[in-house]
Amino acid sequence: MTGRDEMAGDHDSLAGRGPGPGDVDLDRVWLGVAAQVWRRDPGPAERAAARLLRSPGLARALVTTPSLLAGWLIATAVVLLAGLFATLGTGTPYVPLLAPAVAAAGIAYAYGPGIDPAWELSRSMAVSDRIVLLARTLAVFAVNAALGLAAAAAGAAAVPNAAAVTFGWLVPMTAVCALALAAATLAQSASAGVAAGVAGWVIVVLAGQSASGRLTAVITDAGLVLPYLAFAAVCAAIAWAATRVPRGT
Amino acid sequence: MNVEINDLTRRFGRNRAVDGVSLRAGAGVFGLLGPNGAGKTTLLRMMATVIPPSSGTLRLLGRDPGSYGPRREIRRRVGYLPQNLGYYPGFTVAEFVEYFALLKDMPPREVPRAVAAAVEQVGLGGRARSRMRTLSGGMLRRAGIAQAIVNQPEVLLLDEPTAGLDPEQRVSFRALLRDLGERATVIVSTHLVEDVGAACGEVALMDAGKIVFHGTPDELTARGEGTGAAGDAPLERGYSAVLAAARSATAVRS
Repeated sequence: MTGRDEMAGDHDSLAGRGPGPGDVDLDRVWLGVAAQVWRRDPGPAERAAARLLRSPGLARALVTTPSLLAGWLIATAVVLLAGLFATLGTGTPYVPLLAPAVAAAGIAYAYGPGIDPAWELSRSMAVSDRIVLLARTLAVFAVNAALGLAAAAAGAAAVPNAAAVTFGWLVPMTAVCALALAAATLAQSASAGVAAGVAGWVIVVLAGQSASGRLTAVITDAGLVLPYLAFAAVCAAIAWAATRVPRGT
Repeated sequence: MNVEINDLTRRFGRNRAVDGVSLRAGAGVFGLLGPNGAGKTTLLRMMATVIPPSSGTLRLLGRDPGSYGPRREIRRRVGYLPQNLGYYPGFTVAEFVEYFALLKDMPPREVPRAVAAAVEQVGLGGRARSRMRTLSGGMLRRAGIAQAIVNQPEVLLLDEPTAGLDPEQRVSFRALLRDLGERATVIVSTHLVEDVGAACGEVALMDAGKIVFHGTPDELTARGEGTGAAGDAPLERGYSAVLAAARSATAVRS
């Protein structure tokens, strides 16, 4: 038996096909046919990502992100729609308060053990898992920002200080997402990332309300932008350190 | 030498999973034998660059995987089948193999043909378009082997590759191993002694993180002759005799 043969399986063996009439090498012909029949044509999103990232492997890793799959995106849209209807009904801007927590959950569920079924295998691949994590994180952030902005803009007419409320949550969202990412990578657990992100955001919102009397203080106070960004930078550095390939302990 | 390991140690807390292992391996099939918990999987994970060593040196394909550039080059040229193969349930077999071919940085134009060849080599041609979730345990193992060989690796690391394969598939797989070993370094971790006897030209036996025997299967067999060691086959008796000797030596020292 040679490498051109195959393990006993449920398909005619390559050796069984053998050389055909004349000089036709049926093995080569069959492989050519199989290659065309079995190949997966990438969708438009994957093709665009491959061009942008200059790596078909990274693009494929991106479109398999758990928190970018249809089910997750639908769930995200449903939560934001519920927030939108609550905003329109009450005048309280629920979308900007919900969106950072929803995005943090998406970030935590973008990559990691228990989330990616083939995580162990992925860590032995030439396309670095750190790069996969970075690409997925940025993509999840961008998609959540876009969905959140659309929902916040749709509810803007119902809330006071519309401009600040509609865009003001993007910076806190960056900090909350960075916190979720740092916790998820440090603990190697998506659940830990979600818990840290959501709990962190709830604490900040409640603390802001008790300090100022306004639920939206944490997204409209311009003085908080720098602390948010500094916190996000620290969390990003923690995530970067947690995903390096260290010497063993 | 494709694999050069010198005094390699990996600790998890206070536990030394791999303890001062030294090995060199060129082309051929190299068997890593040992009981559960001996450190085989940890050693293989270090060779697959999934986890770094705590101390010692590891060189693969003449490169040090400790830095990014060489590690990436090594990963392009290594195939790895982990003990617990994770998979995306919605992927077809061909998509699964293609995914890892792309992550191995194979030129995209070469991928479809390489995928077809690898899937055929493991006998899954008839199931290439089946979803991974519909496969039996043995088929999943073969899909895992297909992704490991899709890039025609120069170093192939297989952790319990025959788990779940039926006897006919195991015989075919050993033949495939021998063929792959003619041009690559194939390191097979297993606790099935008969796999080693049938396919490997060289074998190392691990126990408690250390290599307690290194030689040919015939030399391992010879260690069991006349010892009265347990085992149904000569190689199994050699395995048992070496393990018993190593453990009694450890007990005397401690």
